[in-house]
Amino acid sequence: MISRVAQRCFWLGRYLERAEGTARMLAVTQRLSPDAGLDARQCWYPLVVVSGEEAAFTQRFGAAELADGEEVQRYLTWGEDSACSIRSSVAAVRENARSAREAVSQETWGAVNELHLWMVSPEARALYQDDRHLFYRHIRQNCTLALGYIQGTMLHDDPFDFIILGVMLERAGQTARILDVNHHAFTHLAAHQVIETAHWLSVLRSCSGFEPFMKRCRGPITSQAVAAFLVLEPDFPRSVRYAVNAALRRLKRIRHPAAFGQPGAASEERLQGLEQWVSRQHAEALQPGAIHALLTYVVEEIAAICNDAGRELLGEAPAAYAAAAQ
Amino acid sequence: MNAEGSLFSQYRIHPGSYDEVFAADGTPRPEFRSAIAALGTHTPEEFARQQRLAEMALLSQGVTFSVYSDQRGSEKIFPFCLVPRFIAARDWEKVERGLRQRILALEAFLDDLYGAQRVLQEMPLLRELVQGGKGFLPKLRGIKPPGGVRIHIAGVDLIRDPSGTFRVLEDNLRTPSGVSYVLENRLLSKRVVPEALDRARVYGVDHYPERLGATLRSVSPEDPDRSSVVLLTPGPFNSAYFEHTFLARNMGIDLVEAADLFVDGDKVFARTTRGARRVHVIYRRTDDDFLDPEMFRPDSLLGVRGLMRAWAAGNVALANAPGNGVADDKAVYPFVPDIIRFFLTEEPILEQVTTHLCARDEDRALVLERIGEMVVKVVDEAGGYGMLMGPQASAAERDEFRRRIQAEPRRYIAQPRVELSTCPTWDDKGARVVPRRVDLRPYVLNSRAGPWVLPGGLTRVALVEGSYVVNSSQGGGSKDTWVQKPEAA
Repeated sequence: MISRVAQRCFWLGRYLERAEGTARMLAVTQRLSPDAGLDARQCWYPLVVVSGEEAAFTQRFGAAELADGEEVQRYLTWGEDSACSIRSSVAAVRENARSAREAVSQETWGAVNELHLWMVSPEARALYQDDRHLFYRHIRQNCTLALGYIQGTMLHDDPFDFIILGVMLERAGQTARILDVNHHAFTHLAAHQVIETAHWLSVLRSCSGFEPFMKRCRGPITSQAVAAFLVLEPDFPRSVRYAVNAALRRLKRIRHPAAFGQPGAASEERLQGLEQWVSRQHAEALQPGAIHALLTYVVEEIAAICNDAGRELLGEAPAAYAAAAQ
Repeated sequence: MNAEGSLFSQYRIHPGSYDEVFAADGTPRPEFRSAIAALGTHTPEEFARQQRLAEMALLSQGVTFSVYSDQRGSEKIFPFCLVPRFIAARDWEKVERGLRQRILALEAFLDDLYGAQRVLQEMPLLRELVQGGKGFLPKLRGIKPPGGVRIHIAGVDLIRDPSGTFRVLEDNLRTPSGVSYVLENRLLSKRVVPEALDRARVYGVDHYPERLGATLRSVSPEDPDRSSVVLLTPGPFNSAYFEHTFLARNMGIDLVEAADLFVDGDKVFARTTRGARRVHVIYRRTDDDFLDPEMFRPDSLLGVRGLMRAWAAGNVALANAPGNGVADDKAVYPFVPDIIRFFLTEEPILEQVTTHLCARDEDRALVLERIGEMVVKVVDEAGGYGMLMGPQASAAERDEFRRRIQAEPRRYIAQPRVELSTCPTWDDKGARVVPRRVDLRPYVLNSRAGPWVLPGGLTRVALVEGSYVVNSSQGGGSKDTWVQKPEAA
């Protein structure tokens, strides 16, 4: 397929996953804060960091506002100058879909366009004010609807593969970042057991992973158990391992069958390397002291893979990539 | 028939115009009676509701055009009216024959202009106008386009005078747009007024993309079955971007931007995720000026360097061919009947509108004297811009145009204002059906095998009371066009 269109599909997938992820994290945190015994800053600060917005946020509002849940929500939901706000992400999904309009299905486009029109409508503002929970749910449902239409109404060939490649790389990066930031925030606290449990529960919920975790791990909810689940569980669709593996399968299809001489060799080799590396890890390695280095490796590898794919397959110049990836 | 409370019970025709549906005595024309009865069963309230639902559906499906004047690049739906425009079988039969004839003649004319130029030897004034105008591109002389076709897609604007005679107002032989709305409007009709559509025995229009695809493949320098066809768009900010995506989707071809293409060894390639892929036919929706910075505008970011060399070498077909602008130039338009006679030795089937060329001394004198009765047009402007509607203009505006005409007579033509036909049209504010002026743009596809006319077309309607301007950029909307099949068929 045309490289530029592949690029739009890839970013459509990334922004769709990002919009859904941000809405999910905000919803979980918003419900967590009243009763968990965590102070407000412990609740909200990690979200800003996970979104990669710490510098921009503190510069604009001051570090004290990191404890202000309303300010953080407003910024991560509506912020026009933040590439990570839900509104910006949804607008980017829509813009990418619009410029790959002939590649995505009619139903996908309709769902994406309607979500965007809703986000800029007075109804969305009103629901945000009246019922925050329903507001985030509406966004999550419609992102999931779009993803469902992508799965169910598009030909499973190149455009589909590029969208899912984008979704899965974004997802792997998100899960790694959520885990890393929360670990970091936690190692500085001599936390009470109850608070720690509440905290890791919220991390699991941020990844839609609470019930799946309970099904697999009946033991106590410790940082190590949660980390092992979110990084290594092969059957959990938001674990790093699952997402990296799914991304690799898409990339292999894109380059299939006689890939010799076709573009994408470096991207595939690197993604393959990461996939093998993740599957070699053991739960014992995910000690609080070691996990930061591990997760940093994952996040950096994913950035490098996106960079390679952009150069090899998506027709991006290195400079253009840097700008697009903020 | 016009029962109280039905859609047409309040309808009064506009005196002095031909009404497309109702006869002078206020009753529906016999051929449309059954369909009008079916439409009439809708109440105005129902109709208003359907109109709103349809608008919401178009918005959520992104059936929109971008507004150039708006800095934020906002998108609007193309206003439309759910009351269809009808064309009777016998009227259509003549329109169809007339359009085929016209496109054949214009095709021969272009071939001659970029070849031997026999016609210019016969018509000295035409020679002067062609050589002095912007439309003729002398650099292209001597190039034979792949497949031998230049006007692959034409949109010919027709109006209907008070006697009911169709007249050609303008030819669009470069990148005519609007056909996606023909298909979208039909989808709305099927949903909202299916029983009337059924009773009216109307030709389908949804095979247009398939015919367009076949037309494009027919001119490929490669075996049509193994040809790669792409649609070249200026991009998402173009006002017709929706249509570009619509046609690409419906033909199952790639929609490309100039940066996706490159030329190597006089052959065109697309940049794909599997490397370079050869392209044989380009349906380009960019203007000539932005095709190839090497040949045309060096400042253009939209072009593909070397594209014209590849075309001249016969390695890629461009639809439409570059250089067609000379044949739809408003200054050349008055010569088209003679062009038909010259190339086909036939009398023109379709009438035109009387046109005065300000470049001609006696015409200019007449125009300057009677400017208050005339519509004055600039030859190189489109979209209803830069024109003077004499009867509605102020004295100051008329004087201004007199000065402009005297300064640059070559740039102006003038026509007596033709009273456009009207069609029953939904008026949202008044919540009733009222007469509004319409024109018609049928689409002609011209393959290696010759011209084919889509039985339908874009009916544009001046939604504002008293207005003659049907352009979407200036308060115009569109209607579904129902071309009836002949009785026996």
